[in-house]
This record gives sequence, C-alpha cells and structure tokens, in this order.
Amino acid sequence: MADMRWTRLVKAFLSERGSLVFHLTLLLVGYFVLVMLFGWFISSVLVFILGSILLFWQTLTRLAKDLFARKFMFGLTLVPGFLVFLMLFGLFWKAKAILAVRPIGRLLLSSAWRPSRGEFGLLPFLAGTLAVTAVAMVIAVPISLLTAIYLSEYAPRRLRPIARPVVDLLAGLPSVVFGVWGVLMVVPLVERLARLFHTYSSGYSILAGGIVLAIMVFPTIIHVALEVFSSVSQELRDAALSLGATRWETVKKVVLRKSGQGIVAAVVLGLSRAFGETMAVLMVVGNIPRVPHSIFDAGYPLPALLANNYGEMMSVPLYDSALMLAALVLLLVVLFFNSLARVILVRAERRAL
Amino acid sequence: MKKKRMILLKWLLIPLSIAITIFSGPAGLKAEELKGTVSLSGAWALYPMAVKWAEEFRKLHPGVQIDVQAGGAGKGIVDTLAGMVDIGMVSRDIHPAEVDKGAWAVAVTKDGVVPTASGRNPFKNDLQKKGLSRDIFIKVWITGQAQTWNDVLGNGAGQAVHVFTRSDACGAAETWAAFLGQKQEDLLGVAVYGDPGLADAVIRDPLAVGFNNINYAFEASTKKPLEGIVVIPVDLNNNGRVDLEENFMSTRDEITAAIKRGAYPSPPARDLYFVTKGLPQKPAVREFIRWVLTKGQVFVPDTGYIPLEPEKLNQGLKKLG
Repeated sequence: MADMRWTRLVKAFLSERGSLVFHLTLLLVGYFVLVMLFGWFISSVLVFILGSILLFWQTLTRLAKDLFARKFMFGLTLVPGFLVFLMLFGLFWKAKAILAVRPIGRLLLSSAWRPSRGEFGLLPFLAGTLAVTAVAMVIAVPISLLTAIYLSEYAPRRLRPIARPVVDLLAGLPSVVFGVWGVLMVVPLVERLARLFHTYSSGYSILAGGIVLAIMVFPTIIHVALEVFSSVSQELRDAALSLGATRWETVKKVVLRKSGQGIVAAVVLGLSRAFGETMAVLMVVGNIPRVPHSIFDAGYPLPALLANNYGEMMSVPLYDSALMLAALVLLLVVLFFNSLARVILVRAERRAL
Repeated sequence: MKKKRMILLKWLLIPLSIAITIFSGPAGLKAEELKGTVSLSGAWALYPMAVKWAEEFRKLHPGVQIDVQAGGAGKGIVDTLAGMVDIGMVSRDIHPAEVDKGAWAVAVTKDGVVPTASGRNPFKNDLQKKGLSRDIFIKVWITGQAQTWNDVLGNGAGQAVHVFTRSDACGAAETWAAFLGQKQEDLLGVAVYGDPGLADAVIRDPLAVGFNNINYAFEASTKKPLEGIVVIPVDLNNNGRVDLEENFMSTRDEITAAIKRGAYPSPPARDLYFVTKGLPQKPAVREFIRWVLTKGQVFVPDTGYIPLEPEKLNQGLKKLG
C-alpha cells in the first residue's frame, strides 16, 4: 500500500532529510511561545541569535559536532556534583558567623533555643530528628521488607504489575498531601492511643511524625528491595526448593542471605529520605523545641526548624547563621548516609561478580 | 542540496528576524496602559485583604498581574529583602534589624488577634460570661502556671488546659506575644502550622486554647465565629466578668468596631504593613500601593478589616512620594 500523503509528510518531518522542516517548525513554535511570555522584542532577538547558531551548526563537520557534543555533555554531567559542592560551601560560609562567636560543642549540645536572647542550642532538633526517623524506620522497615518479599517471592504473576505502580504512586504524592492527611487521621489516632496508654498527647507528636514519615518511606525501601531481590539468581531459589525447602525457608536462608547487603542499602536510602522530609512532618509533629521524652511528646526535627523559622531569619541577629548551620548539619548527615549506602551497594555488587 | 538549504535560511530567517525586531519594540505600546507584575507574599492575616485588593485593582488595570501567596509574616520579610517578591505582607511591627537590611514599610490596614477556645469546651458558658484577663493569658502562654481549667477559670475543674500556638514565624503569634509582653519564641504550647491549622487544632480538642487573626476566627459569609470555635472575651479591666463595653466577640463587625474605637487594645490589634525593599520603583507596584492607600480603603470594612486613620494613610502616601 502506498503511503498516504500526510503519512509521507509526517515521515519527512521526522526523518533526517526533513530536518530543515523540523528545525523551522520548532523555531516557529518556540518563537510564538516566547512572544506570549516575553513580548515581541526579546523573542525576536532570541530567535535571531538561535537562528544564527543553527546556521552555524549546519556548516560544521561531523567530527566537529561530535567533539562539541561530547564536551558539552561532559560539562552538564559535572553540574550536579558541582551544585552539591556549591551548597556545602555556601552553607558553611553563612554558618561561619555563628561558629565564630559560639563554640560548636555548645551549639550542638545545648538544649536552650531562645534566638532573641542569642541562645542557639540545636540539641532538641537533633534529638527530634533522630526520634522521628527512628520511629519511622521501626515502622517502615519490617512492613516494606515483608511487602517486597511477598511481591518478589509469593505474589501471583498478575499481582506484580498492579502492585508496583501503586507503590510508586505513593512515592509521587506531594509531601503536603501527606501532611494534611496526617493532621486529619493520624493526629486524632495518636491522641486516642495515648489515652489507651494512660498518658496525654495532643496528637501532634513524634509518633504522628513517625507514622507519616514511615508511609512516605515505604516506596523507597520497597523499590530498592525489589531490585535487590530480583538480582538474586533464580537458580539458587530453584536449588533450595528442589531440596524440599518451603518458600519461607528459601526466602530466609537463600534470598535474604544473598541480598543482605542490598537490603541494608535499601534501608539506608529510606533513612536518608526520612531525615530530609519536611512539610508532612512539620504539620503533625508539634514543633516544641524540647528534647522529647516519649513518643507521645511533641518534637521538632531539623527540617521543620528550617521551614518554620525561615521567616525570622532577617529579624534577629545571628539567626540566619544559626539556621544555615542547622541546614549544614542536616546536609552532612544525609550525605553521610547516602555515601554509606553507595559504598555498601558497590561492595555488594563487587562480591556478586 | 546543502548549499540551497543554507541560502534559503540565510535569505529567509535573518531578514525576517531583523524585520520583526525593528517593527516591535516600544512603539507598539500605549503610554497610559499600566503593565507589569506585582508579587506579594507574607502574612496569613493580610492574605484575604490582599486578594480582594488584587481583584479590584485588576478591574481597573487589566494589564497588571498580581500574585499573592501566604506563608507567614516572616516569610514575607525574607522574600522581600531577598528581592524575590515586590511586596511583603507583614502583620507585626518591623524590627530595627529588618529596617537596617532595607525594609521600607507603609501601614495599609488594621486587624487583630483574638484568643479562641473549642466549641465543645465544657466551660464554654463560663468563659463567655467571665472572660479571661491578660494575667491569666500570661499564666497560660508564658509562665505555664495555669495547668488546669481551675487555674484559668477558678471553677474547680481538674482537666488540663491544652495550649496551642503557631509554628511558623508569623505576625499573629508575635502580636499575641507582644500583648503578653514577650516574643513569639516565648509562647508555650504545641505549635501548629498556619492560621487555619491552629483553628483546626482548637476545634478538634475540647480543652484547647489558641489564637487566630480575626479573619480566621470568624466566618467571612456569616460574620460569626467559625463553626466549632468560640472567641474568648478579654477581661480588660480585670474585674472577673465581661462588662457591656468588653462584650464584642460574638460577631466580626463587633470586634472590628471595637478595634476602630480603641476598645480592643493594640496589641493584640495591630496595623498591617506592606513592606518593600527600599522605596518602590516599579510603576505597577507604586500605583498599586497608592491605590491601596486611597481608593482601595473602600473595600476594607466589608472584607473584615479596620480602615486605617486618615493621618496614617496620608503619612504613607507622603512616604511613597
């Protein structure tokens, strides 16, 4: 069957020979978008410059284009690493002001947080961060791992393609949605739970923060754990099963043992996510700058400190420097755990080879 | 083929772009039409008013786009001083440290912070008959001496008082703390994010006390307190009951009238400010502020705020230049 005329046009549009048409059309569309955003003058100037570059590009040799593309992409690859370094440097620069007038020991270990009196003890926030993260991991790790094991070893073939997207959907929900849901459902739950334990809690507590955080961390751990389980070769499982082991014995003695390091990496990645999660936690955690003594106490993790008091930065001397120091501490902690996970994963891969 | 293509591009694209560049530009714009964007960010307290002003201003100047976002007075200051927004909405007094960093402020309207309790509070009637004095508020929010409802109302009740405050750096908490002689960081209680968040927390807990900006404690449509909230009358003369001249917490109009005649003190009533970094330069921003200080004041009472005294408005206009 001969191609219809419009098919030929589209094909020409998309093929190499049609690249002129392609470029021109792209240029025209881009031009009108720019006009809508920036007005006639600027768009015309931009298109003029772009058109000249395109013209120039047509005149280069194939080899020249290859060299240019390689250098350009190399530059782009360096950008993320450079950004992290820039962030670290910038935060340290801003934090220098407070490090110059207060010893780092006092800043990290004092629990007095009274910025307008110049007291910037970060201990309550460190304790709050650790408490919320610990609670979240205690809840999330068993559930995520068992879910991953079920999906990988037990689930019927039909279930897997449904379950994966649902888990990934959880990862895609915005943080503030979790926060609102937490305020509506988790906070009253914690309040009632506290009454069961004969203590009082307003519901805004470490436990509430931990529960919300755990749900946000599920997809991370499940995803990585599933990847790790799928990397265990099927032959090992078959060998165990053929010797008469039950599914669970296979899982315990073969799959988990083989993927032990990968599981650790998955958990550590989840931990990094838990450390940094801000909005959802700050809406349910109570935000009282005191070291929490029970999970029903309100707490104040580092990210919540930054998000809440971002507004006071300009108003009190040294406050912005103190907050930058807190941000730097948070960044270093997360970087540490990420590097740890990477090292473990690399070692696991090397051992598998 | 390549040469043909290059010739085509050369003689088509370049003259085309040059021609369009020449024919666009300032000549195409009308001189009177006000254009541009004005971005505002900051206090929850000013948010409803700013949105109303933005709507009305756009009716007069459709070429101006106005974006308003809330996030607390502190965020407004930081965003403005960082140059990220044009106008910061601030619901507290400007600190000297902020003025040093270039903050230029003009008062645009007035409102207040009111103490709140839950609609399911078992001592609701007692609260509304006796009111609470400033000393009791200090015991609740600053010193922590008021632990039970007996300490607050003297009615022998043993239930604990559940104190709430704001977590974000905001004008409402700063103003409430100023009324009690302290700063926001000295306020005790579980800190909740945002005005609506705090109102929500108080509604859900029968033994809770909190505070809100007037427009978040009262319903805009009915002008009565939000469903599930009671506004605690303030016993200003400390005589243990709510006198006739202290009884203005049942509707929004009553409290705004009380603030206007000075019956409700400032703080917790306070001026609301627009802050810019230095004297505003953008024509759209200047026009907007000028309009707000003059014709915009007409919309203030219906939106639930208190119109500013003419002297303050004139001061602002003079400052604007």
